Amino acid sequence: MSERTGKQLSKEEKDARFEAELLPVLDPLYNFAYRLTLDEDDANDLVQETYLKAYRFFDYFEQGTNAKAWLFRILKNSFINEFRKKSKQPAKVDYSEVEGYYNSEDVEGESGVATTTDMRTESVQDLIGDEVASALNALPVDFRTVIILCDLEGFTYEEMAKILDIPIGTVRSRLHRARNSLKEKLEKYAKSMGYNNNEI
Amino acid sequence: MESKITEVYQNAPVEGKETECEKVSKLLDLVIDGEATSEDQHYFNHHIEDCVTCFESHQKQKLLKGLVSGHLKRVIVPESLALSIKAKIQKTL
Ligand SMILES: [Zn+2]
Repeated sequence: MSERTGKQLSKEEKDARFEAELLPVLDPLYNFAYRLTLDEDDANDLVQETYLKAYRFFDYFEQGTNAKAWLFRILKNSFINEFRKKSKQPAKVDYSEVEGYYNSEDVEGESGVATTTDMRTESVQDLIGDEVASALNALPVDFRTVIILCDLEGFTYEEMAKILDIPIGTVRSRLHRARNSLKEKLEKYAKSMGYNNNEI
Repeated sequence: MESKITEVYQNAPVEGKETECEKVSKLLDLVIDGEATSEDQHYFNHHIEDCVTCFESHQKQKLLKGLVSGHLKRVIVPESLALSIKAKIQKTL
């Protein structure tokens, strides 16, 4: 009790602490929101909502603890509880369209535009990135989430379990299934790029 | 009697090459995510020195993780976002 009153801060102090501790997470948080919603405006709204919630509950946030995991958890819950219901279509990318594009002759046409070797290397890098993105976006949101949290953001299994409110065993099995699924999608691409099935 | 049963069970040929590979494949995600215990890590490393199949699946799984961590482009945060968050917070009591 006395600890709570001892922590009473002025609005200015609270705001300053809030900004210093939580705003550095903005970049990963926005990226996470974007990977969940697949829409920039929606990501924007979701991130703002997350920060406002975090502000309301900031008294319960223990200074020096994992701010990133805390914000990711709030964002994930907002996405599930409110956002997903609000938005008409949770997955706005029609994978078949993207797939159709990359499987067509356009892939060669595109890299053909880059005439210098440097540019060609760069465009191949871009193509890989784009293909990873569309394969990932085509996964169910639960699968997409664990891959982003683990492989892109480097959260531990324990942190992921807390963010997602699921046991570590479920984190592991979900991640495993998500990777198999991603592998399957990327294999199609690998074939179209002339790699054989065993390369990925 | 009980000890005899245990003995028989323990001597059963369950530790074949196949189950060892199965154990290693279950460790695969833990290993590439840095979540394996040092004991498991040691077991894993030792096994893939001799087993080409498991060595290759390890390579593939590392490659897959690398595709996401190394090639997935990060989206750029709109400049206005931080400002509008700060503005909203200042208005909140
Ligand atoms: Zn093996």
